[in-house]
Amino acid sequence: MSFLDTLLEALSLVTQSGSILALAIGVVIGVICGAIPGMSATMAVALTLPFTFALEPVVGILLLLGVYKGGIFGGSIPAILIKTPGTPASSATILDGHPMAENGQAGKALGMALYASCTADIISNLALILFAGWLASFAMGFGPPEFFTLMVFSLMIIAGISGDQLMKGLVAAVLGLLLATVGLDLVYGTDRFIMGNVNLMGGLNFIVVLIGLFALPEIIAFAIHPSDKHGNVRQLGGEHVTFGEYKRCFRTICRGGVIGAILGSIPGIGAAPSAFLSYSEARRKSPNKANFGKGEIEGVAASEAGNNGVCGSTLIPLLALGIPGDVVTAIIIGAFMVHGIQPGPLLFQDHGSLVYALFMGLILSSVFLLFFGSFSIRIFKYIADVPKSILLPAVLILCVFGSYAINNSLFDVMVMFALGWLGYFLMRLEIPAAPFLIAFILGPLLEDNFRQSMLMSNGNFEILFRGWITWGFWILTAVTLFCLIKSHFATKKTDSQSPPKPEAGNNLKGEALS
Amino acid sequence: MTISSPIAKIKKTVFKVVSLVSVSALLAGPVFADYPQRPISLIIPFGTGGPTDISARALARSLTDEVAKPIVIVNQTGGGGAVGSATVANTRGDGYKMLAARTGSQSVSLAMKSNMPYSLADFKFVGIYELNPIVCVTRSESGIESMSQLIDLVKSKPKTVTYSSSGVGALQHLAGVMVLNAFGVENPLEEAIHLPMNGGGGAATAVLNGTATFVCANSSSVAGFINNGQMKPLMVATKDRVEGIDAPTAAELGHPELEKLVGWTGIAGPKSLKNESVEAWTQWLKTTTSEPGFVDTMTRLGSQVVYMGPADAEEFIHAQYTAFRGIVEKLGMQIN
Repeated sequence: MSFLDTLLEALSLVTQSGSILALAIGVVIGVICGAIPGMSATMAVALTLPFTFALEPVVGILLLLGVYKGGIFGGSIPAILIKTPGTPASSATILDGHPMAENGQAGKALGMALYASCTADIISNLALILFAGWLASFAMGFGPPEFFTLMVFSLMIIAGISGDQLMKGLVAAVLGLLLATVGLDLVYGTDRFIMGNVNLMGGLNFIVVLIGLFALPEIIAFAIHPSDKHGNVRQLGGEHVTFGEYKRCFRTICRGGVIGAILGSIPGIGAAPSAFLSYSEARRKSPNKANFGKGEIEGVAASEAGNNGVCGSTLIPLLALGIPGDVVTAIIIGAFMVHGIQPGPLLFQDHGSLVYALFMGLILSSVFLLFFGSFSIRIFKYIADVPKSILLPAVLILCVFGSYAINNSLFDVMVMFALGWLGYFLMRLEIPAAPFLIAFILGPLLEDNFRQSMLMSNGNFEILFRGWITWGFWILTAVTLFCLIKSHFATKKTDSQSPPKPEAGNNLKGEALS
Repeated sequence: MTISSPIAKIKKTVFKVVSLVSVSALLAGPVFADYPQRPISLIIPFGTGGPTDISARALARSLTDEVAKPIVIVNQTGGGGAVGSATVANTRGDGYKMLAARTGSQSVSLAMKSNMPYSLADFKFVGIYELNPIVCVTRSESGIESMSQLIDLVKSKPKTVTYSSSGVGALQHLAGVMVLNAFGVENPLEEAIHLPMNGGGGAATAVLNGTATFVCANSSSVAGFINNGQMKPLMVATKDRVEGIDAPTAAELGHPELEKLVGWTGIAGPKSLKNESVEAWTQWLKTTTSEPGFVDTMTRLGSQVVYMGPADAEEFIHAQYTAFRGIVEKLGMQIN
């Protein structure tokens, strides 16, 4: 069968009504599930899986992919509107998305999130279609030492996000690292800091920490000082993104998409670190640096591009090597195997038409995402108009429900409240919460990969300098560090010359306090 | 206490009503079975999308026709299955909270760790419905073609051969140690390196990209890589050869004792589980494991559907636990 025949067969597979319907339904389910805090994209995909057993392979897999993509975008809706990320991937979107909503630009933030998501999605899909083989072999070069150096480099994000208040950012990061050590020790299998509590054996759940740290402080602050600036918001809630703004952010979006596509192809990283990396890169390069964290539209664009950029390329290790890069692709592998199809190098030979049908479906899914996304924004943005005295109690209920739903455990709800108070005190001390979160995500990865490297080399540090990938990341780290120090001294100079300005870098200062 | 007190009267009436209801329930027989009267939670001690989750969800789906009330899947992750298992170990024996029990959480971890919040005696197993044979594989480009070559490598270059696992206390961990030890490596803990990788996917990836030399993993997680020629199977730890995997069995290589290495999924309740629940589940598992749709799905996912009743399951799990405990004590692998 010639290549053209394969393509035609693929086209007929994807254009059958079932495939298109599955994709559309998938995106809708994804957006809705993603928008519910505590229902992550992963859970939505896992719950959809059993329904695909009875469907044709193309239809079933497209349904799952639709749910996944929709879910990653859907997570940004509550992140922007109620400061509670629907999925972990959208935690970076809070940083600028929520301040924008507070300024009455909810419609604008959501619109930019959608356009950035769709654009990055297309970039990621193209990476999958054009560079799958190349990126897969790059990803296979990633052992524990390479991971470790990548994590060292990524920790620079903390400096990028804390901005001028590096000390406070570091304090937050150390707190995050500390909390991340709770749970099972990877190498020895012993318990760490669980204080005899079985519920702590698994460590603190990421989403629970996230909800507690971001959503609750707002509610606590409001409960202490109720103030309804409601009329202000309603007038402005309907603003749209202009083409000029999209054009201004286009470079950032493309950069985010590429970062997402590369990180997504490496098994085991996931969308959240990619979103943060894209965000901190955007901040570093942007002329509006000072406005980041206070409602900068470019920040929303960067983080949403970073997390959706992962979606297409996570399929690279799956399709090219048969390796599931994250939980979502592990579920999708199940959908392949139920139909007797084995993803891997032979997939393109044995089931070429299926692969190309999936590619076409993926591109189509970006279009569906744009369509259903803008529809959902039209509905959801009115949440921004709800007065805080009604909205926040409802959010509190969602927070409790969300943290309970993840693990069906009341303990998690208590953890959320404890973290909420911690977040509140951090907010009062003007310590940004984002570095806390990044350290909480990256810390365990850093530690595990370091210890795995040391196991591999019997304790020899040379392994951290093996191959060009490790050297590449060490050099990147050094360059970033150098730039940071340089810019730090540069701002100090201008600060001493100009009259004192109001403190910048209060990423997460709540409205109720200002 | 006076007989005429109103409370006593109410008590009496309640007693009458209750006894009437229970008698009628008994007479009505299976139509008004006592169990289940409300939805049953099936706790999966691992995350969504993992092998246990997919298998238990497939079971629950196929049980919907059998069971009058819905079976609600509840994922309680953490501690390598310890958190969810502990929940069921401490629950009431009414059968409304059941556990998807698994090799890692119900036998390997218990054999290796002294700090587990439960013991094997805390559970009553109602059956095993799935087996996953263990296969030892290496990367195709590794140049290792057989178990004897692997063992030679371990002996000639100590502390260079690595085996990956999804974590400490996982079946892959113990399997690596047991296999090396059976083939004559006196102290596998010293002579080879264990690389815990945080998840089954990571364990296979580590072998594929050359981070680890070999892994002894569930056949379902590596069968695809073998078919694609990315991995080379060295041995299957089963009685008979496994279809599609071109490797000798443990017995053919002279080590039938390694047949104890097998992954399984079963259903368990707390030790106080009532007989009616045990009987109901026994019946359900018996029917489901012979249902073609369920068997077909599970087989395609790389598992073997089996049926073991309460007594068989209990015996099987205890035998496996005892074997594992033996090797843990022999090699001093105990984790405190």
